[in-house]
Amino acid sequence: MMIKLTLQGGLIYLTLAFFLAAAVALWTRKQTVGRGFWFAGFLAALASVAWRGVNTGHPPMQNLFEFFLCMAAVLWPLSQETRWRNGIDTDLQDACLGLLILFPAGFVFSEEVRRLPPALQSPIFIPHVASYVAGYVMLARAALQALPLLRASTDAVRARQADAASRQTAVIGFLLLTLGLLLGSLWGKVCWGHYWQWDPKEMWSLATWFVYGGYFHYRLKNGLRNPKALGMLLWLGLLFVVLTLTWINLSRMFSGMHTYA
Amino acid sequence: MSQPPFLAVTAVFAVMLGVSGLRALGHRRFDSALVHLGCACVMAGWLVGRVAERAGSPEHPVTGAMAMIDGDESDKLWEGAYLTNFVGRVPFSVRLEHFFVERYERNDSDVDAGREAPVREYRSRITVTEPGRSPYVVNVRVNHPVRIRDYSIYQMSWGQSTDLSGRPVTYTVLQFIRDPGLSVVYAGFVVLFAGLLLFAVRVFRVREEKTP
Repeated sequence: MMIKLTLQGGLIYLTLAFFLAAAVALWTRKQTVGRGFWFAGFLAALASVAWRGVNTGHPPMQNLFEFFLCMAAVLWPLSQETRWRNGIDTDLQDACLGLLILFPAGFVFSEEVRRLPPALQSPIFIPHVASYVAGYVMLARAALQALPLLRASTDAVRARQADAASRQTAVIGFLLLTLGLLLGSLWGKVCWGHYWQWDPKEMWSLATWFVYGGYFHYRLKNGLRNPKALGMLLWLGLLFVVLTLTWINLSRMFSGMHTYA
Repeated sequence: MSQPPFLAVTAVFAVMLGVSGLRALGHRRFDSALVHLGCACVMAGWLVGRVAERAGSPEHPVTGAMAMIDGDESDKLWEGAYLTNFVGRVPFSVRLEHFFVERYERNDSDVDAGREAPVREYRSRITVTEPGRSPYVVNVRVNHPVRIRDYSIYQMSWGQSTDLSGRPVTYTVLQFIRDPGLSVVYAGFVVLFAGLLLFAVRVFRVREEKTP
């Protein structure tokens, strides 16, 4: 936990403040004010990405800190896209997600470029982790967009909208999850000599993959006959994502291949 | 995880996935076909690798390691926690010219200030002697395995010890792996991902009505 007393840190905290203001305003149903803050947060996030690029002189996609900055800047466009494509409003949800994503960039990750140990010096490192982070963000959005499916009071039109939006978001998340898994496997072969080692984190990721696989099978087989089950499967998937992420911290206590993560 | 019952269960699953893939192909559902056939491919490739492991012999070993200090030459692979069990011989020999441990520059500004700088690179420079070829030198590094014949050689580990006369020595551990199923697994990855891309396109084609 640390506070960044740099321009970079200032831009991150400004973004966080805008996201928080947007979330509070939207929560209290002040739509115009909320959307204003949400857009201002997007501009601040964009500025922090741009400043990172200018300041370091390389495209800001080369470590996790930079990747989290970028994720915060794509949330506003994603919420606009969902409104345009599916006609539903996800501003409040996305602002909350933005807070969650930027928190590690603001308080946990170091701005410094880390000197990597030999095992992490690989061109697959960033694509592997980036696929997972982006995938997890999309899967979290899918679960949030599926919330109306869990309520009995949702009418048929709203249910169809929520289903379409959450399924489209989930399929992008699932693609990224698969990419992360395959790239990780490829990297494992190059680095450790094995593409699959029954490492706890590998198994959690695969279990997550199976849950979303189950969701798509269920949706294909049953359509919208039982919307509640679809919503619950998406939330079950997110629970597995949370468990996998928790493993990053737990792995400090139990040994495994991913202990440096 | 490579016990026969587990392999048999995996084989059954692989066949089931293959069958659903072929059925999807029959229904002209190409996304589903590719995803299921890709999964079947990955599992089949994994099985080929595990069966090869069980069928490995001292004349044609599948996996093993050698611990070496500078100047050692060997073609023998070992296994076990202390590399004490003989596995077999590879069809070429390896001589360790030098094992390098290179560190980053020391500095006084970042998290490592005041401590020994972290390791930047582990590298085993080896001379390979294959029958019918003049010896050549290659470097084995972490994340940069070297492929010779069917074997990939990995920089697996290193350590410090003393030799028989009590002088300190640094040793490197090189791992040798042969996996005949690997290309099948990778082919499965490609097919599976292509199928998922098609599926995503299909999910996005379905437009639901918006509220007015």
